[in-house]
Amino acid sequence: MLLPYTLITAFTGAFFVYLTGKISEKLRNFLALAVSLALLIFVSLLYTKIGTSHAYFSFLDYALTLRVDWLSWFFGIAVVSINLFAIIYSFSDMKGKKRLDLFYMLMLLVNAGMLGVVMSGDFISFYIYWEIMSWSTFLLISFKEEGFSAGLKYIVLSIIGSCSILAGIFVLYSQFGTFNIALIMEQMNMLSTGFAVAILTLFCIAFGIKNALMPLHTWLPDSYTETESPFTAVISGMLTRMGMYGFLLILFVIMGLNRYISVVVEKYSFVLSWLGAITIIMGTFIALLQNDAKKLLAWHGIGQGGYMILGIAYGSAFSVAGGIFHTLNHAIYIVLLYFSVGAVEYRTGTRDLNSLGGLIRKMPVAFLGGLLGISGLIGVPLTNGFVSKWLIYKSLILNHSPFLAFAALIGTWGTILSVYKFLHNIFLGQLPSKYSEIKKSPFSMQFPIIVFSTAIILFGVLPGIPLNIVEKIMVGMGFESLGVKIWGIASETGSLSTLNIFFAVLLVILGVYIFYRTGFKSKRVLQEDTYAAGHYIPKDKYAYTAEFYAPLFDIIKPIFKEWVNIFIEKLTVFGNNLSDRIRRIYVGDLGTYVLYIVLFLAFLLVLRGNIW
Amino acid sequence: MVVLYGLGSILIAFMIGILFAGIARKVRARVHWRYGPPLYQPLIDIVKLFHQQSVSHGFVFDFGIFFSLTGAIVTLFFIPIGNIVPLRESGGLLVVLYLMLIAPFGIALSSVEAANPNASIGISRKFILALGYEIPFLLIILSVMTYYGTISFAEIVEMQRESTWGIISMPITGIAFLLILPAMMGLKPFDQIGAPQEISSGPEVEYGGIYLAMSRIQHIFLVFINIALFVSLFLGGGPEPLTFFLKMLPVFFIVLIVSTVYPRFRIEQAFRFCVRWPTILAFLGLLFVVWR
Repeated sequence: MLLPYTLITAFTGAFFVYLTGKISEKLRNFLALAVSLALLIFVSLLYTKIGTSHAYFSFLDYALTLRVDWLSWFFGIAVVSINLFAIIYSFSDMKGKKRLDLFYMLMLLVNAGMLGVVMSGDFISFYIYWEIMSWSTFLLISFKEEGFSAGLKYIVLSIIGSCSILAGIFVLYSQFGTFNIALIMEQMNMLSTGFAVAILTLFCIAFGIKNALMPLHTWLPDSYTETESPFTAVISGMLTRMGMYGFLLILFVIMGLNRYISVVVEKYSFVLSWLGAITIIMGTFIALLQNDAKKLLAWHGIGQGGYMILGIAYGSAFSVAGGIFHTLNHAIYIVLLYFSVGAVEYRTGTRDLNSLGGLIRKMPVAFLGGLLGISGLIGVPLTNGFVSKWLIYKSLILNHSPFLAFAALIGTWGTILSVYKFLHNIFLGQLPSKYSEIKKSPFSMQFPIIVFSTAIILFGVLPGIPLNIVEKIMVGMGFESLGVKIWGIASETGSLSTLNIFFAVLLVILGVYIFYRTGFKSKRVLQEDTYAAGHYIPKDKYAYTAEFYAPLFDIIKPIFKEWVNIFIEKLTVFGNNLSDRIRRIYVGDLGTYVLYIVLFLAFLLVLRGNIW
Repeated sequence: MVVLYGLGSILIAFMIGILFAGIARKVRARVHWRYGPPLYQPLIDIVKLFHQQSVSHGFVFDFGIFFSLTGAIVTLFFIPIGNIVPLRESGGLLVVLYLMLIAPFGIALSSVEAANPNASIGISRKFILALGYEIPFLLIILSVMTYYGTISFAEIVEMQRESTWGIISMPITGIAFLLILPAMMGLKPFDQIGAPQEISSGPEVEYGGIYLAMSRIQHIFLVFINIALFVSLFLGGGPEPLTFFLKMLPVFFIVLIVSTVYPRFRIEQAFRFCVRWPTILAFLGLLFVVWR
C-alpha cells in the first residue's frame, strides 16, 4: 500500500501547500518541506517493495496500475532528493517574490508528476502523469514575465511530444489490446518489425524532445535561463531526464534488449548514437560561446544529454550502464552548478559572465560548489562524472567505434574550456569594486550546495554505491553482469579502480604538502597586490573576463551556430512571406471575386473533361 | 611494494626530466653560439627557489599548485617506465588522458586567484592551445587503442614488444604525434602561454620561491610524461628504465632542435596549425586503422 500513498501524499501535499499559503507563509514553507521530506522517506522505503505493483483505479474496464522496479526506484529517489533540496533552496532564493503559494504548489506538482511517470504501470497513467508534469512545467517556466515566450516554445514542442506519445500508445493498443506495460512486454515478440520501428520512432520523438536531443532541443536554453533558480535545478536535474527514463523504458523494457539489438537495430542504434554524438559536440561548443552563466550551463545540459543518449543507444552493456549512471551524475553536478549560479545571482543580481569576477573570497561555499560541479561536468577523476564517461568511452573504443568515441572525448575537452571560463569569470580574476560589499550566501542556499558537493566526491571515490543499483537495472533488462565493485569496475577487458587513484592522490598530495612546508614560508598578500612588469594596473580596468577566448571565437563561431534555430527562423520568414502573397488575392473588388468563381467553375469543367 | 614502485617512478621521471631541462638549455645556448649554463643548472635553480621568499594570494592559490603537481605525479604512476608501473589495473589510458589535464587545470585555478590580468591571459591561451592539440591527440590515442583493441596502457606496450613498434604499424599517426609534441610541452613555437616578453610569463607571473619551484617541477614531469607517452605508444617502451631513457633521448632532441630555431606563433596561428596538419594526419591514421 506504500505505493499509492506515496503518490497521494505527493498530489494532496501540493494542494495543501497552496491552501496553507493563504493562511501563513511560515506554515506553507514548513508544509512544503514536510511533504518533500515525507516523499523522500516513502520512496526510500519503497526499496523493500521493488518488483511489486498495485492496481489503483479502473478506467473503462482497464485497470490503472502503479509499479516499482529498479529503474523506477532509481529515478524516483533522484527526483525526490533533488526536489527536497530545491525546496530548501527556494526558502531564501524566492523570499519576497510574488505568487509564492502557486510557486510551491507547482514545484510539488512537477515532482508528483515525475514520480507518477516513473511509477506508472500502464500507459494511460503514464500519459496522464506525463501531461501533469509538462503543464506544471510550462507554468513554472513562464513564472517570471520574461519567461513567457520561453514557456510558449516549451509547451508547443511538449504538445508535439505528447501527441507523438499518444499515437505510439494507440499503435501499441491496436496491436496488443492492452495498456499494461508488463502485459505488452510479454507479447512483444509477436510484433512485426514495421510496427516496432513505428513505435520506436513515435516514442523517440517525444522522449527526444524531453531530453533535448538535437534537432529537437530548441526549447531548452531559454527555458533553463528564464525560470527561477530552484526550478532550473529541478528541470535540469531530473525533469529533462524523464526523457532518458522514457528512452530506457521503450528501448530496453518494452522493446527488449534482444529485439533492440537484433531486429530493429543496426540502423536505429546507428542513427540514435550519431544524433547523440552530434548533440554532444554542438551542445558543448555552443556552450563555449555563451556569456550568460545559466545559458552556458543549459547548453551543457543539452551536450551531456547527448552522452546519455549515445550511451544507451549504442546498446552494449557498459555503454548502457554508463548512460544510466551519467543521468544520475549529471543530475547531481548540474543541480549543484545551478545552485551556485543562483547564489551568485541572488547576491549580485546578475549572471553575465562578462561583468562578474573575483567572488571567491566573498562567496567561498558557492565557489566550492562551482569548482566541484565543473569537475564533475568535465569528469575529472575522483568526481562522479568520470566513472560514467569512462564506461561510455571504454565501450565505444573496445567495440571499434572510434569516431563516436572521438565525438564523446572532444566534447569533454570543449567542456573544459567553457566551464573554466564559467569559473574564472565568476569567482577568479579581479573583483569589480561594485561587488566589494557582497555577503556570503544564506544558509539555506549553502546547505544544498554542501550536500551535493559531498555527493560528487562520494560517488566519485566509491562509484559502487549507485552502480550497484545500475547493475540491478541492467540485469533486469537482460544484460550480463558488469562486475561492479564498491571501488569501481572489475572486468576482463579493463578494470577501473577509483579507490586506488584516490589513495595515490591522497599520498601524493600529502607528500607535496610536506615538500611545501619544508620550503621557505610564503607571505600572505592581497589579491590586488600583483606584479605587472613595471606597469600599474588601475582598479576595475584590464579585467580579463570579457571575451575570454577571443582568438578562438573568431575561428569557431562560423561553425557552431544554432543551426536549428536559424532554420526555424528562416522557415518563419518564408511562411510569413508566403501568407502575405496569398493574402493579396483578396483585392476587395467584387468583379474580381466573380472572376475567381467563374475561373474556378471553368477549372472544374476542365477537370471533368467534357467541356466540349 | 606499490609505494616503492611509486617512489621509483617519481625519482626516475624527475631525474630524466631535469636532465632534459639541462640539455635543453645547453643545446639552445650552443645553437645561439653561447656557452650555456652547466647541465645541472635546473636543479640548482629549484634548490635556490626552495629557499626563497614567496607570496601567496590565498587558499586556492596554494591548493591549485598542490593539485597541479599531484596531478602530474599521479599521471606518472600509470606510465610503464620499463617494468615499473605502480597503477597497472586502474583504468588504463583513458585515465591518463584525464589525469594529464589536472596539472594545467591546477595551475589555471591557482594562478588566477591573484587579480593579475597577465595570468588570466596566459591561462586563456593555454586552454585555446590545449583544445588545438587535444583534437589530434585524441585521434592519435583512439587510433592506438583501436589498433591494439585494448585500453590498458601496459598491454599496448607488451603487444608492441611481441610484434613491431607502433611507429612501423601506424607511421602517419606517429608523425602526427611528433608534430604536436612541442605544443604539448609548451616549447617554441608554441610558448604563447608563458611568453615572457608579452605577458610577463603568464600563469607563472605571481609565482615565486616554493611556488615557482613546484610549477617548474610540474613542468619537468609534464615534459617527461609527453615524451614517455610517445615512446610507450610508438617506440615499444622499454624492458627496463635505461632503454626507456635511451629511446626518449632522440625524441626529445628532435623536438628541441625544432624549437630552438623557431620564433613564437601567435595563438590563433598555433591553434590553426594544430587543427590543420596534425589533425588531418591523425584523422587519416585513424581511417587507416579502422579500414585495416
